[in-house]
Amino acid sequence: MRPDERELDDEIRGHLALSVQDRIERGQDPAAARRDALAELGYVGDLRESIRRVWYSRAFDAVTALGRDLRFALRSLSRSRGFSLTVVLTLALGIGANAAIFSVVRAVLLRPLVNRDEDRLIYIRQSAPGIGQADMTFSVPEVQDLTSQASTIAAFGDFSTVDFALTGLHEEPRIVHAGVVSGSFFDVMGLRPVLGRLITAQDDGPNAAGVAVLTYRFWTTTLNSDPHVVGKAIRLGQRTATIVGVLEPSIPYPADTELIANIVTSPHHMGALMRTNRSHRMTELFGRLKPGVTLEQARADLTAAHAAMLKAHAESYSARAHVQLSVTRLRDQIVSPARTVLLVLLAAAAVVFLIAVSNVANLILARSVRREGELAIRAALGAGTAALRRTLLAESLVLCCLGALFGVLLAQPFVTLVARYAARFSVRAVGITVDSSVVWVGAALALAAALLLAFVPRLPSAKSPAGLGVPTGSISMTPATRRRLRVFATSQIAFSFVLLAGAGMLVTTLVRMQETRTGYDLRRVVVFDVPLSAPAATDPKTLEFFKEAMRRVAQLPGVRGVSIAMTAPWRDAGAIPLMQVTAEGYSPENGEENPHAKFRIVAPGLFDVLGVPLIAGRDFSDRDVDGSEPVVIISESVARRFFGTGEAVNRRIVWTDPLARMMGPARPQRIVGVVADVDDENVVPSQTMAVYRPVAQMGIAERLFVRVDGDPHSVIAPVTRIIRDLSPEQPVERAATLEEIRSQLLAPERVNAFVISGFAGIALLIAVVGVAGVLAFSVSARTREFGVRLAIGSDPRDLLRRVLSEGARIAIVGILAGAAGGYLIGRVAARFFVDAQVPGALPAVAAAAVLVAAALTVSLVPAARASHVDVLQALRTE
Amino acid sequence: MPKQTEKERLDLLQGTLDMLILRTLQWGPQHGHGIGQAIRTQSDDLLKIETGSLYPALHRLVKRGWLKPEWGVSEANQKAKYYQLTAAGKAQLVREQNRWAQMVHAIGRIMNPVENKE
Repeated sequence: MRPDERELDDEIRGHLALSVQDRIERGQDPAAARRDALAELGYVGDLRESIRRVWYSRAFDAVTALGRDLRFALRSLSRSRGFSLTVVLTLALGIGANAAIFSVVRAVLLRPLVNRDEDRLIYIRQSAPGIGQADMTFSVPEVQDLTSQASTIAAFGDFSTVDFALTGLHEEPRIVHAGVVSGSFFDVMGLRPVLGRLITAQDDGPNAAGVAVLTYRFWTTTLNSDPHVVGKAIRLGQRTATIVGVLEPSIPYPADTELIANIVTSPHHMGALMRTNRSHRMTELFGRLKPGVTLEQARADLTAAHAAMLKAHAESYSARAHVQLSVTRLRDQIVSPARTVLLVLLAAAAVVFLIAVSNVANLILARSVRREGELAIRAALGAGTAALRRTLLAESLVLCCLGALFGVLLAQPFVTLVARYAARFSVRAVGITVDSSVVWVGAALALAAALLLAFVPRLPSAKSPAGLGVPTGSISMTPATRRRLRVFATSQIAFSFVLLAGAGMLVTTLVRMQETRTGYDLRRVVVFDVPLSAPAATDPKTLEFFKEAMRRVAQLPGVRGVSIAMTAPWRDAGAIPLMQVTAEGYSPENGEENPHAKFRIVAPGLFDVLGVPLIAGRDFSDRDVDGSEPVVIISESVARRFFGTGEAVNRRIVWTDPLARMMGPARPQRIVGVVADVDDENVVPSQTMAVYRPVAQMGIAERLFVRVDGDPHSVIAPVTRIIRDLSPEQPVERAATLEEIRSQLLAPERVNAFVISGFAGIALLIAVVGVAGVLAFSVSARTREFGVRLAIGSDPRDLLRRVLSEGARIAIVGILAGAAGGYLIGRVAARFFVDAQVPGALPAVAAAAVLVAAALTVSLVPAARASHVDVLQALRTE
Repeated sequence: MPKQTEKERLDLLQGTLDMLILRTLQWGPQHGHGIGQAIRTQSDDLLKIETGSLYPALHRLVKRGWLKPEWGVSEANQKAKYYQLTAAGKAQLVREQNRWAQMVHAIGRIMNPVENKE
């Protein structure tokens, strides 16, 4: 139907013939007839165009023209493969990094939660900055006070965690991490079951049957998505429960659990301590805003309710603790730890992209100078500025699209890497895959780059004198072009410097953390979790069980020592209570309170096993048992605080903390020993005061420590077997050396340093290639100049020096610019990173040295070429 | 005839060019030149359709499915493209004629006191 170009011509020709014939028939002579017919027709081009427009839109024409240009671009690029390959790879790196980071940012920061009406979901947190508790959770009486007062919240959901020994789903009993919730929780959270039902109000109250909902992860990974799991009866510790459903995949916040049970399944939750004690806090609180209520209104409402509660129960809240309430949207709460890290990564990726584009711009600029002849000829033949620009655009489009394609392919492994990293900060990053947005980001970046790059080269205008020099085929460079090349190369160096220095700082921090002395013998100690069920923890026979286990473990070959304690280093960080303590004969100075010390429970021999030196007195012994004189060992800093340089052993301490008083009348406890300070809760140790009590006088210890000569892993299997032999139902878990535990703790920092170093490496590579490219081009453009210089007797070494110094100048100016920019960025960043540790100038100096060295190294090749210019050849080139 | 008034008249008629073409083709297939001539003769030389308007209009009507083009040979043995009304084109002609009659009637009522200003 649509007529082709030929048909249009035929029709117009036919019309003309008919018109002429007509006129001749009416009596005109042929020549006049033809003239008049043509006059009537007017300009054929316009007529033809207006007919064409009926069938072919302007867009169609533009696309056709672009297609032609693209074919031309492909042909011309395939003639300079090295150039194309460099450009495509550079862009692929830049685009790939950005696309990957962006898809992680999108998934973590921008994607809404699966929860129904998630923007009405809030998270309420109680904190006590005065005593360093960022999340002190709530006690049941506190929850009751708040929920009865608040008027802006439609419903509250509460969540606490408990470890159960689960039997009935697996062959062996296993300890599961479980959430305990009341019936409103799932409705408030707006979550649905994928199987069965969730816990509802009918499951509340002391007479309800025990029910449990499995989390999606647990159901799919450990139960292979067993569809018949609903209705199964299980035992959770001493109680029985029925599995009523499976929760949809959702973000496990505040804790990743295997299952979620109703309150009646947990004897602890039914107990008086939990229900009535205001300071017994273990509940996290969520709320759903009433429709139309803003976050600010809810915040004001809840804060008022909280203030009223503090006032009504002033005796339970120390003024020094500064107990306060914060109300955030759940999504923000979940996302916040990852935000800064991801934004920093995004910035790093953007810098890499800028470097890549500026490098490509350089290459294209250099190429366009080489092509000036070709462009001038095309301009002379009538190609307008627009047409030439379109040609260049087509070329950069081809390059950038190829770059984007490889970039997106590159993004796949990159996303996996970054997601695994981000998962340490935000549960939302778990299981991120490359989403389709990567493709769009890649495409958008490619388009942006293409447009940018098409406008880099200068166009020869038909009038410009440059057009005249064309046929000689030589390269001539205007000062403007040279300036542009240098600016690009310099800015690349500047950006790379910022990244390199940043990466250097991260690595320095990491190394410093890794090398920090911990006070423990990390490599030779293995820790086992031996979690006790609630009845076992209070059973006096448990101590006998541990004694027997230790006796047998000690006989294993290679074992140098074995002991138990309440907590494992780092892994149980935060679980050690901080309690107020004083000493007989010690009175705090004016305005000071009694110090808080970590309350730790250890068995005889633990200090030996860990390698913590005993400074004075003795270790606990087997005679320090329940019923004998209560004794403690204190850390060095406690001794100094109470007794200065005086003798600490045989003096007495008294617990003054309300929590300790709850456990019984405060009896003085005699100090039998002083040990060195250790901090096994923080990565970077800070001074911590600790008071140790013997296990035998406290009755709780769930971590087994074994000190080994030789391979520490060799004892894991025999130790596990010994405990199983003694008590078949007793779980033994998470065996690891102290070194492994600590290095796991450092993993985020390590990946952080790794990712940023990766970016810096890419940046360095690209920037150095950029400098080399600029110099190589500048040398080849000045071949004649060098030839003349050599001919009139210049020393080749002088030329070498000239080119090298040009490279060094680019590097140094770039570094200075980068340092200035980096300093500003650092100032801004310091405002956002509260704990920004700036490890001095060393990394920056190192980065500068690396850059200068790299720039000089790559300058050697073009410099050598300059000093070896063949004089005759050079003079003949023009 | 003064140039100015002719131009005015043509402008007025431009919108109805499609209708005129359809009407002309009612008597059988015709090529572009023939259509232009027919309109001219039938209007007593008052309406001269410019080729620059005629041909795009013809192609527009083909695109809409009201005309069907076909290559043929004129009486004088000249190869030419002939246009023919389709069924849809005939229906369109009826619609345009009705619309035209209504418009003439309406304009006539407005212009009533000054009848036939020609």
